[in-house]
Amino acid sequence: MSKTVCVLPCNGLDKCAGDISRRVALKLTESEGVELICPVLLNQNKTRYDKVLEEGFLSVIDGCNTRCASKLAGSLEIPIKEKVNVSEVAKAQNIKLGAAIREDEETDALVQALLEKMSGSEEKQAESEFVVPESVNYDSFTHDKFIFKVPKSGYYFNENDCWVSISGDVARIGVTDFVQQNLSDILFADLPEIGLAVEQFDDLGSIESGKTVFEIVSPVSGTVTAVNKALENAPELINESPYEMGWLVELKLSNFEEDKELLLGFEAYFEVMKRKVAETNV
Amino acid sequence: MSKIKVIPCSGIGKVFGLLARESVLMVTQEKCPNETETLCLAHVVTGDDEVVAKIKGARCITMDGCSKYCAKKSVEAAGGEVEHSYKVPDYIKPHRGEDHGTGTYLTEDGWKFVDELAGIMAKTVNEMQEEVK
Amino acid sequence: MADKRIGVVGCSGEECLGGTISRLVVRKMLEELRPGITTSLCLPLFIAGGEEERRFADKYPTIAIDGCSKCCAKRAIEKFSNKVAGSIDICQIIGEEAAMDKPLSTRNLTDKHLEYVKQVSDKTCEIFDGLV
Repeated sequence: MSKTVCVLPCNGLDKCAGDISRRVALKLTESEGVELICPVLLNQNKTRYDKVLEEGFLSVIDGCNTRCASKLAGSLEIPIKEKVNVSEVAKAQNIKLGAAIREDEETDALVQALLEKMSGSEEKQAESEFVVPESVNYDSFTHDKFIFKVPKSGYYFNENDCWVSISGDVARIGVTDFVQQNLSDILFADLPEIGLAVEQFDDLGSIESGKTVFEIVSPVSGTVTAVNKALENAPELINESPYEMGWLVELKLSNFEEDKELLLGFEAYFEVMKRKVAETNV
Repeated sequence: MSKIKVIPCSGIGKVFGLLARESVLMVTQEKCPNETETLCLAHVVTGDDEVVAKIKGARCITMDGCSKYCAKKSVEAAGGEVEHSYKVPDYIKPHRGEDHGTGTYLTEDGWKFVDELAGIMAKTVNEMQEEVK
Repeated sequence: MADKRIGVVGCSGEECLGGTISRLVVRKMLEELRPGITTSLCLPLFIAGGEEERRFADKYPTIAIDGCSKCCAKRAIEKFSNKVAGSIDICQIIGEEAAMDKPLSTRNLTDKHLEYVKQVSDKTCEIFDGLV
């Protein structure tokens, strides 16, 4: 007997993402074996859903990055089997969400994309084609008790402290030592959807520590082909190995020769980083 | 039966160190005062004879503030049996967006988080006691 | 360009009040009394081989603040880095009986404890200012 799918949408009222989350949940419950979990009732009286949660698994639909539905499940210690984020999928589809509830083709397309994602027919992460270099040589400097490293070759940088390394037509992207030292312990990595097309200097997700959120600014243009899944359970990899194990995103490049003109090499970025470190209190 | 040793990291730079410390104090002073005790990590790491004698072969729980695992590694190096190792960031997901305080003082949300962490360790202590029975 | 920094290492011991006070003094130096030129070093990380902590203590003057007469912070710095530039034994300032009292949760701090923190901080600043 297949398990019941328990769908928990967010109930956000200040943005239309909450409405879309609800629509997706209602659509899902048209199928057999799917039960809708009301977030308000779950918060007030979890026992109401104990039996169905025991027999099934939980799918969460968050409206935005506040992730209220996920947080609610977490606070009640209900394991989440899968989740989608309406705002992130909208961004991947180039759909702008506002406050007003819309009845239009874009909304329908977004609902459909979310349904596909939840049914497992979304774009999957392909096998990585990035060839990892055998070793990376660094140069470093010290400020206070902190050591700041920069790879000497094979990496390019933007002024927003993100790096890119190229392997054929695949780029791997991450953040520099300056970022991980500044943020201190990184707790969350919000990475883009597979298939998202980005231009150079577009947002490519964010990473978050207890101190602040850092927006990743893409050093290159391309289409997202992979994200570092290891960061879900071990975001500290970004602190421990920002240029290697802590990589964030892979893109299939669309225009590297042009993008390269606006990137910095090791020597230039080394000086940029030294200046930034001197100016900030890491 | 000797008490279970519950040892926090001493992380002083970040709020996670204070969360680790306060949650262990809550376990050893409030939730399980008869079953647990803490030991000074500074004594452990400097190899104080009296403390090392206490910790060698002892059943231990460690609570670290970050993935450097100072408490876990130091206790293991001194011969303690770390039966359960916890790390504050592993429980942070449901608390995303909350302000827990600084390395000096905790906020109300910080104290709620401390209570949650202490509860997790207290449950483990009870389970460890049951195993022995 | 030489930058003026002074390291402060507390024992942060959890078996006595002295350890609690050492921790609070380090935080006070960092946040309030000498911000911008104080660097706090983490003792367990220092001993576990923390490259950054040991390098700092090797290069810059470092003050050890110990909660009891075992002086773990002082001994660790001298073993793994360099001679300490200053050393405080909290027992000597607030008395052994007070220092060996039970460790304290920060929410149970009283005026008396804050006074202890002030006494130890004042002594730390004295040493600190002599090094700057």
